[in-house]
Amino acid sequence: MNPAAAAPAQGLDWRRLTRRLARQRNVVIGGTIVAFVVAVALLAPLLTPHSPEETDLFNTWAVPGSPNLLGTDKLGRDILSRLIAGAQTSLLVAGAVLAITLAVGTTLGMLAGYVGGRTDSVLMRIVDIMLAFPEVVIAILVASVMGTGTLTVVVSLALVWWPGITRLTRSFVLVIREELYIDAAIVAGTSTAMIFWRHLLPNIAAPLLVRASVGVGFIIMAEATLSFLGLGIQEPQASWGGMIRDGLPALRTDPYLALFGSLALGTTIIGFNLLGDGLRDALDPKLQGR
Amino acid sequence: MLRFVVWRLVMIVPVLAVVLVATFLATYALPGDPVMVMLGDHSSNEEMAARLRAEYGLDRPMWKQFAVYVGGILTGDFGMSYRYVRIPVVEVLQDGLKISPLLALAALGLGASVGTLAGVIAAIRRNTATDTAIILVLVAGLSIPNFAVATFLVYAFAIKLGVLPVAGWGRLDQTVLPVLILTIPSAAYIARLTRTFMLEVLGQDYIRTARAKGLSEPVVILRHALRNIMVPLLTSMGIIFGGLISGTFVVETIFNIPGLGRMAIDSVFARDYPVAMAIVMLFTAFFVLINLLVDVAYAIIDPRIRQRMVPA
Repeated sequence: MNPAAAAPAQGLDWRRLTRRLARQRNVVIGGTIVAFVVAVALLAPLLTPHSPEETDLFNTWAVPGSPNLLGTDKLGRDILSRLIAGAQTSLLVAGAVLAITLAVGTTLGMLAGYVGGRTDSVLMRIVDIMLAFPEVVIAILVASVMGTGTLTVVVSLALVWWPGITRLTRSFVLVIREELYIDAAIVAGTSTAMIFWRHLLPNIAAPLLVRASVGVGFIIMAEATLSFLGLGIQEPQASWGGMIRDGLPALRTDPYLALFGSLALGTTIIGFNLLGDGLRDALDPKLQGR
Repeated sequence: MLRFVVWRLVMIVPVLAVVLVATFLATYALPGDPVMVMLGDHSSNEEMAARLRAEYGLDRPMWKQFAVYVGGILTGDFGMSYRYVRIPVVEVLQDGLKISPLLALAALGLGASVGTLAGVIAAIRRNTATDTAIILVLVAGLSIPNFAVATFLVYAFAIKLGVLPVAGWGRLDQTVLPVLILTIPSAAYIARLTRTFMLEVLGQDYIRTARAKGLSEPVVILRHALRNIMVPLLTSMGIIFGGLISGTFVVETIFNIPGLGRMAIDSVFARDYPVAMAIVMLFTAFFVLINLLVDVAYAIIDPRIRQRMVPA
């Protein structure tokens, strides 16, 4: 018997889901914003009118106009180009954090939920301990050990994020574990690793991915916060949090850097959150309208 | 009940152990010599270096340093600062200890009252323009990071209108913007939860009964509905405090407020690890304590929780 065929398609009915999503105003607005930001990030090298890192000390704090559509910063770098590069930075960090935490969290969550017993208790205690730390505190610890920078952001946010994914995965697996096809696989002599790969993973992947994507807005917010505090992305790489940090002291005389940076960051996170909430509502209609 | 409290206290021990080891490793076991940082221009002075090393206990073997570190913390001694040489960490933290909790408490009080009110109004006026407007503000308040909100508010109120100071600490008008910005995310979060819980409670039979027996609408809302959502609201306190902790870091940085958050960031940059790690420990201990209180309060109100959270 082909073990893949033994696992029935479960969980998501994509056609019904798409229909339900299209009816929701929030999903349409959020989806449009997210699609725009993702497109900008993907096409960043083609879209930036100037080099985002090239300085021009004869053209610092230029007001919006020509040739710098949104003006320049204290080193004469083009703000629009840096906003575009910043979109790329935000999404790359969010993508990296999501990839790491999904890989780690899904594996450990499946182990805890499927194997159970002592493995489960030990893993869940570790999850509890990790959740007992406020997230900035984790970032401060990581920054003390590793110094500031992009890697510090990714490591800190991964440490903050994996316990949640592990718990979520475990809760899905606890339900699926009781299904008949799992018993069938065990009886047929399928190895535990194969059961994870062929039976558990395909059945939890879709709902897990959707729930995890709900968190992208919060990951972007956390990255920007760390960069704003100076613990995260460092110069000359463009990040929205870093731009707002640079722009705030000059708010009285040259407000454009901080204002445009805040606008880009705020709009993007609103987009991701609207889309995420909509997806969650569509998956779980009981929660609709809350 | 006692079993629950004891179990919950036992669960704190590994958290505190992890904090102790992590902060110790970050402070003492990192490569690089803190004595050289402290000496600055005098780093060639061997005699001074040896004396400082002895005073800070850095010449002892690692296990002994750890024992002294743990023993010190248990008696409220967090060691000495690297940046302000030979000044105890506790003294460095003193001013910040008076500021950050004040900021957080003010924001919590304001956030809880405004948030609950907004949530109740949105739930009562469900699917009206008022509800939609409140939801829009909530989405914005939860989504836009507080330093981005700060940019707009400082620009509008401090620079364009000139009614509030741009930064600083010590006068009453200097607290308005920081507290407001710290309040927004917690108020939005509380309002959103309140609206959700209210909508659920308002559909219950006992609300219909209360209305049927002729109680006025305010009495139904206040005495029957609002009272029943206090329990679920209470359980979200941990998340709200977590948000307030990161909030103080941001707000103190923006407004140049000498609180614990800004001090922690400054200390990381100045490699003053004893101070940074003491703050890490304070915030973690505080967060753990809040979550403990929330869980115990929850268990007092709802006996089922006692059963569920203690493993058999």
